[in-house]
Amino acid sequence: MSYFSNITNAITTLVDGMKVTMGYFVRAREHVTLQYPDEVWPIPTRNIGVGELDSYNTIRSKLVVDFEDCIGCKACERACPVDCIHIETFKAGPEEDIGTTKNGTKIKLRVTSFTIDMSECMFCDLCTPPCPEDCIRMTPDYQFVSNDNVKLDVTPEERWRDRGHLIYQFSKVSPEERAQRGAEAEKEAAAKAAALEAKRIAAEKAAAAKAAEEAAQKEVTEETQEVNPSQNMVEAAAAPEVTPPQAPPGPPTQAKPPVEAGMERVDLPMETSAVPENPVDKPVEKPAFTETPAEPETSTDTNDASKGETENG
Amino acid sequence: MIQLLANWILSFDMLSGMGASVAWGLSLFIVAALIFVFVAVNAIVLVYIERKVSAFMQVRLGPMRVGKYGTLQTVADALKLLQKEDIIPKMADKVLFVVGPWVILVASVVTFAAIPFSDTLLAANMNIGLFYVVSISSIVVLGIVMAGWASNNKWSLYGAMRSAAQIISYEIPVGITLIAVVAVVGSLNLQTIIEAQGGTGNLFHWIPIPLPNWFIFHSPFLFMAAFVYLIGATAEINRVPFDIPESESELVAGFMTEFSGLRWALFFLSEYANATLVAFLVSIVFLGGWQSPFSSYQGTQIGFSIITIFALFWTIFVQGKTKRLSVYPLGLSLVITIAAWLFPGFAIWMASPGIFWMLMKVAGIIFLLMWFRWTFPRLRVDQLMYLSWKVILPLSLINLMGVAIWMWLTGEIQF
Ligand code: SF4
Ligand code: SF4
Repeated sequence: MSYFSNITNAITTLVDGMKVTMGYFVRAREHVTLQYPDEVWPIPTRNIGVGELDSYNTIRSKLVVDFEDCIGCKACERACPVDCIHIETFKAGPEEDIGTTKNGTKIKLRVTSFTIDMSECMFCDLCTPPCPEDCIRMTPDYQFVSNDNVKLDVTPEERWRDRGHLIYQFSKVSPEERAQRGAEAEKEAAAKAAALEAKRIAAEKAAAAKAAEEAAQKEVTEETQEVNPSQNMVEAAAAPEVTPPQAPPGPPTQAKPPVEAGMERVDLPMETSAVPENPVDKPVEKPAFTETPAEPETSTDTNDASKGETENG
Repeated sequence: MIQLLANWILSFDMLSGMGASVAWGLSLFIVAALIFVFVAVNAIVLVYIERKVSAFMQVRLGPMRVGKYGTLQTVADALKLLQKEDIIPKMADKVLFVVGPWVILVASVVTFAAIPFSDTLLAANMNIGLFYVVSISSIVVLGIVMAGWASNNKWSLYGAMRSAAQIISYEIPVGITLIAVVAVVGSLNLQTIIEAQGGTGNLFHWIPIPLPNWFIFHSPFLFMAAFVYLIGATAEINRVPFDIPESESELVAGFMTEFSGLRWALFFLSEYANATLVAFLVSIVFLGGWQSPFSSYQGTQIGFSIITIFALFWTIFVQGKTKRLSVYPLGLSLVITIAAWLFPGFAIWMASPGIFWMLMKVAGIIFLLMWFRWTFPRLRVDQLMYLSWKVILPLSLINLMGVAIWMWLTGEIQF
C-alpha cells in the first residue's frame, strides 16, 4: 500500500511547498533585501572614542582634504602608521601668493601632489588630529565605488600596485604646473649643487694646501688624505659625533626626503650656511613640525580656532 | 475568420477588383502574421512575468533597471539576442541544425490556428480541432531530436533523447484524459466543446452549490482529469518539474546547448508558445474557454459580492497576522463589486462570453505553471517514468471509465 501513501505524500508535500512559495510571492516586498545603490542603511552615529563626543562622533571612513587650506606641512604624512599619504611640495617663489588658509595662515608651499592610497588606509584616524589647519578629515562616506578607473598621477613606486582608482589625489595643481615646478626646483638644486661643488673644491684645495703645509711642518703620515677632505674639515670644525654629511651626492632632485635632510642640517651648522640644499624645509621647521605631536596645547588651539571659524562661516 | 476577413477586404471599393481567391490568400497571410505576432509578443511578456514571479517567490525584485520596474528588460534581451553572432558548430549537421529550431517553432505556432480566442475570433474552425492541436504539437519532439542530434554534442543528444522519451510517454495519458472530455461532448470541435460548458449547474451534478457548467465541475473524474492533464501537459512542454531534457545542472542546457542568437530565441519563443497553448487547452477543455463564470448579471453581482466577502476574511484573518497588509485583492474585488452593482451594463458585460474571460483563464493557468516551476524540484528520469506509467496512465484510464459510468448514472446518456 506504499503506492497510495506515496501519492498522498507527494500531493501533500507539493501543496506545502506551493503554500510556502505563494506566501513569499504575496509578501515579497516585506522580505526583500536592501536595494543597495538606490537605498542605503542610515549611517550610525556613535562615539569612536577619540576626543569630544560631538567633535569626532562619526564613523571613520573616506578621508577628505580641503586642499585650499593645506599648507603642506606633512604632519599627516608622518602621523600615518601605514605610510599611505604621499605629499609633494615645492617652495613658492619669493613674490608668489598662493593664498591663505581659513585660519589665516599664509601658504608658503605649493602642494603639487597629495595622494592618499585608500587601499592601504586602515581608517585609524591618526592623521587628522596633527593637522594644524584641520583640513584633512574623515567623512562618513564609505562607498569607494567609482565608474572611472582613471589612473591618477601617482608616483612610480605606487603605480605598480595598479589600484589607481583607490589612490585619491587631492592636489588641484595641474600636471603641467607640477612638472614645471619640479623642473625649476631641479634647476635650482643643480645650480646650488654646482655652487656647493665649487665651494667644496675650493675648500679641498685649501685643505690640501694647508695639509701640505702641515705635512711640511710636522711631517705626519698622510693616511687621512684618502678620506673625504671636507669631512675632515667638518670634524675639525664642529661636534665630534656628527654624522658624515655625505657631500652633495648629485642634484637632490625632488623634495622627496625633506625630513632627513632637515635633520641632518640641524646637526651641521657649517654646511647650513653654505648649502640650504632643500628649499622646502625652511618654512616647514617653523610651525607644526616640531611641536604638533608633542604639545597638545598648540594643536588644540588651532583646532578650536578653526572650529570657530567653520561654525561662523 | 479568414472568410470574414476576405469578405471585409472585398467590401472596399478600391480592393474589390482583386478577386475572391486573392483576397482569401491575403487574409490567410494576415491571420498567420497575426498569430505569429501574438506568439512573439506573448513570449516577450511571459518572460518578463516569469522573471517577476520567480523573483517574488524567491524574495527578490527581479528586473528593475530597464524601464519602469524593468518592463523593457525582455525587449532589450530580445534585441540583444537578434544582434548576437550566429554560430554553427564546425562538426554539426548544418541542415538539421538550421532546420531544427524552425520545426519546433512552426509546430508550436501552427497549433494556434485551431485555438478559439472568443466565439468568433479563431483562425480555423475545424471539426477535429482537439485532435489537430494534440497531434501537431507533438511534432515539436521531432524538432527537438533534430536539434539535439545535429549539435553533435553529448549533452544535446542526451537532452533530445530524454525529451523524446518523456514526450512520448506523457502523450498517452494526456490523450486518454482528453478522450474523457470528448466522450462527454461527443465532438472534437473546440468551439463545440466550449459551447457545451455554458450555463450554470450544480457542483458534480448533485451537490447543490451553483457553479458554472465547466467540465472541471462536471464530475469528480473530470475534476481529477483536469489535474492529470495539467501534469501531463507540463511534462510534454518540458517545463519544470519535468525539465530533464534541459536540466541545467546536468546537461548544461540540453538540446539548446549549442544554439545561440536568433536560433536560441526561437527555442524560447516556442517554449512559451507551448506553455500558452497548454494554458489555452486547459481553459478550453476544462474551464469553459470564453464562457463567463457568471450566467447572468445578477450572477455577476452576487458572485463578486461573495468574492469580496472572502477577500475581507482573508485580509483580516490571514493577512492580519503579517507585518504589512496587502489590501489590493480586497480593494480590487470591492471596486468590481460596487461597479457591478452600480452599473448593470458592466455586470452584463462581465456575464457575457468573450475574449476577456478566455485570457483571464489562460493567465491563471500560466501563473499556475510558473508557480509549479518555481516551487517543485526536478524529477529524476526513473521517477518521471514511474509517474507517467504507474500513476498518471492508470488514473487517466480510471477517469475515462469513471466518466462513462457517471454519464450513465446522471442520465446524460441513455442506452
Ligand atoms: S586614517 Fe590612519 S591609515 Fe588612513 S591615512 Fe590616516 S593615518 Fe594613515
Ligand atoms: S597635516 Fe594638514 S596642512 Fe599639513 S600637509 Fe597634512 S593636510 Fe596639509
